[in-house]
Amino acid sequence: MNIVGLDSLVFGVDDVAACCQYLTDYGLLPKNVCAEGGEFEALDGTSIVIRHRDDASLPAPLATGSMIRKTIHGCADQATVDAIAEELGRDRTVLRLADGAIESVDDMGFAIGFQVSVRKPLDLPAEAINAPGAAPGRPANVIGADESIEIIPRSLSHIVYFVPDSKKAEKFYIERLGFRVADRFTNLGPFLRPAGTLDHHTIFLVNTPPEMQGVEHFTFHLGGPTELLLAGKRFQDKGYESFWGPGRHIYGSNWFWYFNSPMGVHVEFDADMDLHDDSWTPREIDASADASQIFNFTLVNKWMPGGDPH
Amino acid sequence: MASEPQGLPFLCWQQQIEEGKSLGFDPEHRGRDSLFIVRRHGKLFAWRNACPHKGYEGAPMAWRKDAYLNQAGTHVMCSGHGALFDPETGVGLPGPCSGRVLEAITITVTPDGQVLLGADQTKEI
Ligand code: FES
Ligand SMILES: [Fe+2]
Repeated sequence: MNIVGLDSLVFGVDDVAACCQYLTDYGLLPKNVCAEGGEFEALDGTSIVIRHRDDASLPAPLATGSMIRKTIHGCADQATVDAIAEELGRDRTVLRLADGAIESVDDMGFAIGFQVSVRKPLDLPAEAINAPGAAPGRPANVIGADESIEIIPRSLSHIVYFVPDSKKAEKFYIERLGFRVADRFTNLGPFLRPAGTLDHHTIFLVNTPPEMQGVEHFTFHLGGPTELLLAGKRFQDKGYESFWGPGRHIYGSNWFWYFNSPMGVHVEFDADMDLHDDSWTPREIDASADASQIFNFTLVNKWMPGGDPH
Repeated sequence: MASEPQGLPFLCWQQQIEEGKSLGFDPEHRGRDSLFIVRRHGKLFAWRNACPHKGYEGAPMAWRKDAYLNQAGTHVMCSGHGALFDPETGVGLPGPCSGRVLEAITITVTPDGQVLLGADQTKEI
């Protein structure tokens, strides 16, 4: 199944205004924002959709109270969407929506959608660095530390689900939708990559007791580690609560910085994720502090060593 | 020997915490609020800013400075994974923190309305 990545996550929230402000401050581009909610887009058109939890147009909520209401996967073409509809139609209800998209549920009960991907091709440079021995990443007189840069998330990267049965959930995504295991935390679950992208994972499954079913976090890719550090600093300066990071993960290699959110999920900034193709042999290890990050920092206030010498 | 209530660290004036609202405090100046106080049905309740979510014990709960409650102000909400708690008993509702309990913090409200951290020893025998 040629699924290219996540297109959109739909939340039915308690505090619409707070979520709209939060996602705007996170850096996404607000679209159609009103009292009922809004859409918050990355540069490639992928998005978070905010609605009120009582919005009747949303798929049913999980029994646990999680605010996630739907995960929409982008497909390469309508033929892929139709093939998924046929596959899932074997054993579950598949709704066909007006625009050719489809809606169903996965084996854990998460509402899932599939559509021809909204992803617009991006033509943007990655963060450029200079290093001895390498050709200059930035030409002469182009500065690297510019505090004024605009930082807009580039693309919706991944979602992490808390699932009551990660083996069963994994089987569904692999056997029914053609995902591959990129790597695995043996005590938690697998990182899953769909067929249409090289990104390390678009889904990560974490096995939990059933009453915890929901979402651990989602994240968007930024343009590089400096963007990530600056975006996170700006976010924390606005009063948002850092949960973990900044740091750099081991599986996936992505830089990370997680924050609490009024959607009741962690929201990550990520940058520079590994790419894998089908020749990759998945690694596996028990998740632990050491296995999960190569380093982890905490932002402190700026200071001037030695003070002002004048 | 009993200490004066005035010897306890001052957190705020009680009227600063309105019904259905919360405030966080960092009395040890650690750079992150270690406790929060919520007013529910007229009374103040103080809890450690440490989620009891299994595997996440101690995680900070607000999503923004002082934002510890759901929109209606009826429940404490941990914005890590959305767990709800009774603001008066600290007991977790069904969800990620089912049956788990927030850690209570003792506070003292003086007759003139100061909210102090710790127990008013002068009231004990
Ligand atoms: S960390 Fe509080 S609900 Fe998970
Ligand atoms: Fe992540």
